[in-house]
Amino acid sequence: MARLSLTPDLGAIVEFTDAGVRMPRRRRRRGDGRRQRLRRIAGEVRRDEVWRLRNATFAVAEGESVALVGGRGAGQEALIRLAAGTLIPDEGRVRRRVEVVPMIDVARSLARTYTVRQNIYLIGGLLGMTPEEVSEKLGGIVAFAGVDGILDKYLGTAPPIVRQRLAWSIATSTDARAYAINQILVVGERDFRQQCWTRMDRMREDGVTFLLASDSPKQFRRFCDRALYLDAGTVAAETTVPDALAMLREARRRDPAAEAESPEDGDETSGGSDAGSV
Amino acid sequence: MLRMLVLRDLQKQYTKFRLGYLWTLLEPLGMSLVLWFVFSVLLGARALGLQPYLLFLSVAILPWWWFTKGIAASTRVFRRSGGQLRISLLPTEFWVLRVLLVSMIEFILSLPVIVIGMLVTQYWPGPLIVLFPVAIALQFLLMYGLSLLIAAGAVVIPDLARIVRIVMRAMFYLSPVLYSISNIPAQVQPFAALNPLVGVLGLYRIGWWPEEIESAGAYLLSIALCLALFVVGLVVFRRLEPRILKEA
Repeated sequence: MARLSLTPDLGAIVEFTDAGVRMPRRRRRRGDGRRQRLRRIAGEVRRDEVWRLRNATFAVAEGESVALVGGRGAGQEALIRLAAGTLIPDEGRVRRRVEVVPMIDVARSLARTYTVRQNIYLIGGLLGMTPEEVSEKLGGIVAFAGVDGILDKYLGTAPPIVRQRLAWSIATSTDARAYAINQILVVGERDFRQQCWTRMDRMREDGVTFLLASDSPKQFRRFCDRALYLDAGTVAAETTVPDALAMLREARRRDPAAEAESPEDGDETSGGSDAGSV
Repeated sequence: MLRMLVLRDLQKQYTKFRLGYLWTLLEPLGMSLVLWFVFSVLLGARALGLQPYLLFLSVAILPWWWFTKGIAASTRVFRRSGGQLRISLLPTEFWVLRVLLVSMIEFILSLPVIVIGMLVTQYWPGPLIVLFPVAIALQFLLMYGLSLLIAAGAVVIPDLARIVRIVMRAMFYLSPVLYSISNIPAQVQPFAALNPLVGVLGLYRIGWWPEEIESAGAYLLSIALCLALFVVGLVVFRRLEPRILKEA
């Protein structure tokens, strides 16, 4: 499978070479599907594509955790999906030495009509675990997410906070050596977040590699060794975390309107401003 | 993993309705009876198909049912799997294979209908019945190719689902479900054989009606087409895969 293929003798964990990807521009306007279709017929909405990421060249070494700093819609999600291989670059190439697990809105992929147990197998499987591996990890996941009581209940009835915890626990139980994370480094309420941090720190000590996009400067400072500063789909700078954050502040000060406008472009990274929400 | 998804989908289908599994049998059985009534009793068209007509019908209707269900499902594969596709480290083809396998298992579960048909008509198959599993394999190949093609196409052209529905309706009459390929004029037969289902349905029937082997040439042509479609499906899917992932 080409998009997920690994390059075992690669020096870095993930390596982008002049990679770029075009994504269909989604203008979220009001109205249901029919109205949207009418708009398309009327030529009001064009199916054009914009470069979400372009000319990205960088490498992530083993054990690093790299912050993706940038304004909304600067290309974080595209970069993360390219790194994991759930998106195929239109130009350039992306190579990886090990499997990179994407943590992007995992809670959205939980199926309401599945039981909690089935969901664990489902998401675990999507993230590259075999059913045997999941069975082995089941106890740990259940205990961590605190879902013992409802293991065989349908997920539809569970409160959102449980979904978040569950998704997070599954995703971090994969034994993967690299993660690409968008917005959900830690989730849940205070106690659970603390547990998340503990586990994340332990994984980092074990030499797991991280690519992290977040809205929270605090998370970057606490967790990352260095930063990529993304600006409008290009990797504008490879620098330290404080420098990248300073560049972001500077950009915001120069052009405060840019932040307010970009959600119109409908980039998926605008998911939640609070790092706690998924 | 695939097994789990397929089992879960089946479970969902069978718990949704009170009669559960029975519907898998009743639906094609009902359809066979209706068609048999219209074409055999009402119209009395003895020239149509081969005897006994009821069995002749049901042997082809079951695969046809699988075909329509599978193809219809493949137009929806990537409609609702957005979030999952964005984090999935499984090959993209899995989604297509999943719906195809679900429809195939339903088909296999519905095979007792043919047994019922044989009991009612007291008409038993000859040695060529060994080609029945070959027909299943061939249909699987054909449908896999087509499903890949259609699933990928439906992402690029949202209207494809409706087009497919109309084409399927036409295909029902253009395929030898109600009739046998030997019913149509000999000079038209080569064109009819351009329909890959001709070969598939022929192989299903040949066990009961060995005289069908007369049209072996036509069958070979459509079997070749099945293989060609499979290759085309794979290639097109590969080409459109970036697009599918982007829309997720």
